[in-house]
Amino acid sequence: MIAVRARGLAAGYGGAPAIRAVNFAAGPGQGVAVLGPNGGGKTTLFRALMGELEPITGEIEIPAAAGRSRAGYLAQLDRTRLDLPVTATDVALMGALGRGRWWLPPRRDDREAARVALARVGLEQRESSLFGELSGGERQRTLLARALVQDASLLLLDEPYAGVDPASAETLDGLFAELRAEGRTLLVATHDVESARAFDAVLCLNGEQVAFGAPDRVLTREVIEKTYGSELMVLESGDGPVRAVAVQHHEH
Amino acid sequence: MISPLELLEFPFGRMALAEVLLLAVGGGLAGAWIVVRRLAFFAHGTAGSAFPGLVAADAAGIAPLAGGLAAAAAYATGAGAADARDRERSDGPTALLLVAALALGAVLASDVARSGQGVESLLFGGLLGTSGAELGLAATAAVVALAGTLTLGPLWMASAFDPRGMRALGLPKGVADAALYATIALAVVAALPALGALLAGFVLMPAATLALVARRPGVLLFGSVALAAVEGVAGLLAAFWLDLPPGPVMASLGALAFMAAGLVAAPGRQK
Repeated sequence: MIAVRARGLAAGYGGAPAIRAVNFAAGPGQGVAVLGPNGGGKTTLFRALMGELEPITGEIEIPAAAGRSRAGYLAQLDRTRLDLPVTATDVALMGALGRGRWWLPPRRDDREAARVALARVGLEQRESSLFGELSGGERQRTLLARALVQDASLLLLDEPYAGVDPASAETLDGLFAELRAEGRTLLVATHDVESARAFDAVLCLNGEQVAFGAPDRVLTREVIEKTYGSELMVLESGDGPVRAVAVQHHEH
Repeated sequence: MISPLELLEFPFGRMALAEVLLLAVGGGLAGAWIVVRRLAFFAHGTAGSAFPGLVAADAAGIAPLAGGLAAAAAYATGAGAADARDRERSDGPTALLLVAALALGAVLASDVARSGQGVESLLFGGLLGTSGAELGLAATAAVVALAGTLTLGPLWMASAFDPRGMRALGLPKGVADAALYATIALAVVAALPALGALLAGFVLMPAATLALVARRPGVLLFGSVALAAVEGVAGLLAAFWLDLPPGPVMASLGALAFMAAGLVAAPGRQK
């Protein structure tokens, strides 16, 4: 059973494709780490999967799951506004707008879904706090609550660990495991090569697909060097698995 | 010395008061969305672009407001489309269009139209000469802004918060944005008779003031309406009392309130 599949996918912004020759698939409950350097195409892939960018070539398949929306998206923190008078609850409730009755005030079950989602990400005490007054980790968890309210079968998480404190990162790890156990598929864009080993599969992008498969097969010195090129800061290789640290940055 | 309230003894004074209160609803709400969506330049551009339309229509013997509305609608459509396509690069074309519109209006007014209404009132407004048609337009703008806020407000706020996330949330960003641009353009054009092409941007001033202190969307939206009404009525009465043009007095009051709010706004609020 397939939750998301891309075949021969190329996508971009009107000029040359930003990504090309992308072929991967993931089933329900699977987690896929998406690795790549700055401008490697991780966000472009997510925008194509969301339907924001039309594929230049190839196709995307995201079968609808019963009772759930198709794709939820966790944006990078720097793409959200901090100066608006919206609370954590307001942001979480935005996840319910896509259910087709946005012209009416939120229903009681929408509010309950927002409350439950915020509790799930450990923010039950911060429901009424302004989004701009939350810490980086709390903001990230609020955006995750918004994605949870969407109740999507596929979650696209764009650098969820960026700007997150260790406690929030631990909360996110636990929550991601829960979501996979519920049968949701997670695509997680990250720069952390080491954390990618904990996923079911790794997709390496650098303008084109470099590799896709199980972590122990994909995370080799050759693949990592080809993926990151000059952005690879450290590469150690002994008898054990390859260890690498990529430059931390935000993709725009 | 006469009392400012004596203005209300005259029919034109009561018409002006009604215009101010209706503009407070439409302009206050539109102003709040202008601030939330950071569309101040778009709003100023829409007002400036109406100028050649006002002059040309006046010269052609038709209602200036109809010409202003047509020119502003054309501008809002083009600038809105450019803004939706590429927000970061739309400021340059918006500025050029604004300058071109003002220059064209000045040329038409001086060399072609020889405007009977007077360039000054087209640029700075003439609140004390409010007509029934102008009241009707202000009422329409108020109803549209209120209806848009109540039905599309959540979409407009979600789009302001995370514009790229709209598609992922399954929300119709294009439709929502087009409705917002139209609502703002209508509110700005409705303010033209009272404030003129150069001062119609006043509609965002109460909201900009409230944005410094508001912690809830409702406070920003409906507080902007209340503040616009207070500033508008106070400006109108003060202008009558001091024998000054109402538009500039209202705009000056708005600027003073903004500066005062800036001084008392809580420090450390993240922007």
